[in-house]
Amino acid sequence: MRIVICYKCVPEEQDLKIRPDRTPDWSGAARKIGQYDLNAIEAGVRLAESAGGEVLALTAGAGANDSKLQKAVLSRGPAAMYGIKTDEETLSDSLATAYLLKAGIEKIGGVDLVLCGEGSGDIYARQVGPLLGALIGWRTLNAVSALSFAGGALRAERSLENSREVLRVDLPAVAALTTDANLPRIPGMKDILAAGKKPVTIWDAAEVSAPPPRGAKTVSILAPEKQERRQIIVEGESEESIAVFYGHLRKVLR
Amino acid sequence: MDFRLTEEQELLLESLRELMRRDCPEAYMKECYENHEYPQRFIDALTAGGFGLLGVPEEYGGTPADTVTMMLVMEEITKNGGPHFSFGQPLSIKDMLEFGSPEQIEQTMTAVKAGQAAFVLGFTEPQAGSDSGAIATTFKRRNGGVYINGHKSFMSNALRAPYMLCLARDADETAADKRQAFSMWWLPMQKPGVKAEPLKKIGWHMLDTCEVYLDDVELTEKDLVGKEGDGFRQAMINFEAERLLIAAGLLGSAECAFEDAARYACQRVQFGRPIGDNQLIQLKITQMKIKIENMRNMVYKCAWEIDNKIPVRISSALAKLYCAQAAMEVADDALQIMGGIGYTVDCRISRLWLDTRVHRIGGGTDEVMIHVAGRAILKNYR
Repeated sequence: MRIVICYKCVPEEQDLKIRPDRTPDWSGAARKIGQYDLNAIEAGVRLAESAGGEVLALTAGAGANDSKLQKAVLSRGPAAMYGIKTDEETLSDSLATAYLLKAGIEKIGGVDLVLCGEGSGDIYARQVGPLLGALIGWRTLNAVSALSFAGGALRAERSLENSREVLRVDLPAVAALTTDANLPRIPGMKDILAAGKKPVTIWDAAEVSAPPPRGAKTVSILAPEKQERRQIIVEGESEESIAVFYGHLRKVLR
Repeated sequence: MDFRLTEEQELLLESLRELMRRDCPEAYMKECYENHEYPQRFIDALTAGGFGLLGVPEEYGGTPADTVTMMLVMEEITKNGGPHFSFGQPLSIKDMLEFGSPEQIEQTMTAVKAGQAAFVLGFTEPQAGSDSGAIATTFKRRNGGVYINGHKSFMSNALRAPYMLCLARDADETAADKRQAFSMWWLPMQKPGVKAEPLKKIGWHMLDTCEVYLDDVELTEKDLVGKEGDGFRQAMINFEAERLLIAAGLLGSAECAFEDAARYACQRVQFGRPIGDNQLIQLKITQMKIKIENMRNMVYKCAWEIDNKIPVRISSALAKLYCAQAAMEVADDALQIMGGIGYTVDCRISRLWLDTRVHRIGGGTDEVMIHVAGRAILKNYR
């Protein structure tokens, strides 16, 4: 079984700054593997450890060429890493990202299963997994909280609002994992040193695909307006205090 | 000079931070400290993450690492509020890997792989603290056995470690050179005649420290470590790297105290503005930062010297001395900035303050470091 895990290198959210015009400034932000993608990587590696197979990692965007991030993903278990260089604007569009990843998966070839995180760590639109599945035309699942392989098929558990759905899915398939699917392993020094020796392949976007179509146009991204806190403190537990508190709430909600 | 870390070092520290977020949160440290409990959960996590074998040669199942990397890991643990004693086994077991018999090495590595301290370092005695030559514990051959008698002091981990690496004097010494009277013995702590009594300390509460009484403890010839009469020389081989490890831990705890105090200075409002707006607080913050930069430079440079086979007799003693004093000053200033809340056990600065103080004594006192460095420095000008 050949498993490809799609992941995104996202800016460290703690490094986010907001400019006076409320636009986000990521210029000083370090990059990391998206935190939701770590669950997909762990799920893929565990699946291969239990059922056999090969795990490969695939990303598109600025992080593709970053050797530290390459080692970071490879230290978590994948045997090889593939990257597609493209600009940030393309990556901000879920459809365009899914097109590029599809092209990458086809270029890798022989893939049985594609795993994605629930959403990207920066935009968190949660669209790339399902879009990718639809574009390739494979069985597609989201909200997957457990994965195993038995009897030649995938067994997937999905966490729904009020229930848990268990599905038997034939391969090939695309699945997006939830964050409760597992606790990602922490790479040790041996894993980190081994990562530097694993193969890395980087493509320009033009090598794998025609310019991908865009599904949406970003008009603007703005941080919420700052609101001054009103600093109204109502003390005590008496009926009067509660009435005063209620009065303030009503004023705001009107 | 290139001060950047390698990508591997950065990734290793990221892994360590993640591990500590999961298994060494401040609430856990506080609970262990208050209950005088060994932080087994954190030690187990470090072991599972491979940190217990970092720096151990591959032939013993470890992952080799240079001294700079070892010091970075030590610094990161204490910088995140972890205990000093949780890392550094690979340095402390160097004596055993170098001089131990295959059986002793196997016993050492079994413990290390399980995340345990393999042995208590049995050097210090009531009359032999800085003056190791005054060690009075003896070994005597009798009826085909070897019998150890004596009293060891301030034995860290004596309640948990399975062995003591015991430095003892030949009861029948005749050698002209008194230093040749000392040998190292591998002493199982469960043997009849071994009694450990915990000391009550003002800090360092997560690790036991005991008085250990050795009353006619019976060993055999196979329990000798290395060569008879070479005990002192064997004990000295790794002192310098171990001193530096203490300095690196102090650097991290100073950074931890500094960051807590700096954040507090920005948040605590008095007279309508954060206390950090006052220049007296800024003076403290600035001086603390200078001390931390100095500590870091001394630790990293000395580690680099060890990795490049440059003698560090002077620089390791200077680093230990400076870091022990400067870290205490930083912790004290941090506590002062935090005021009353800093003096409560709800705030970790009180723990850092108490636990930092011991390092001006343990691992070679300030005065011994001055003795070591002072003599060596002047020797260069004779």
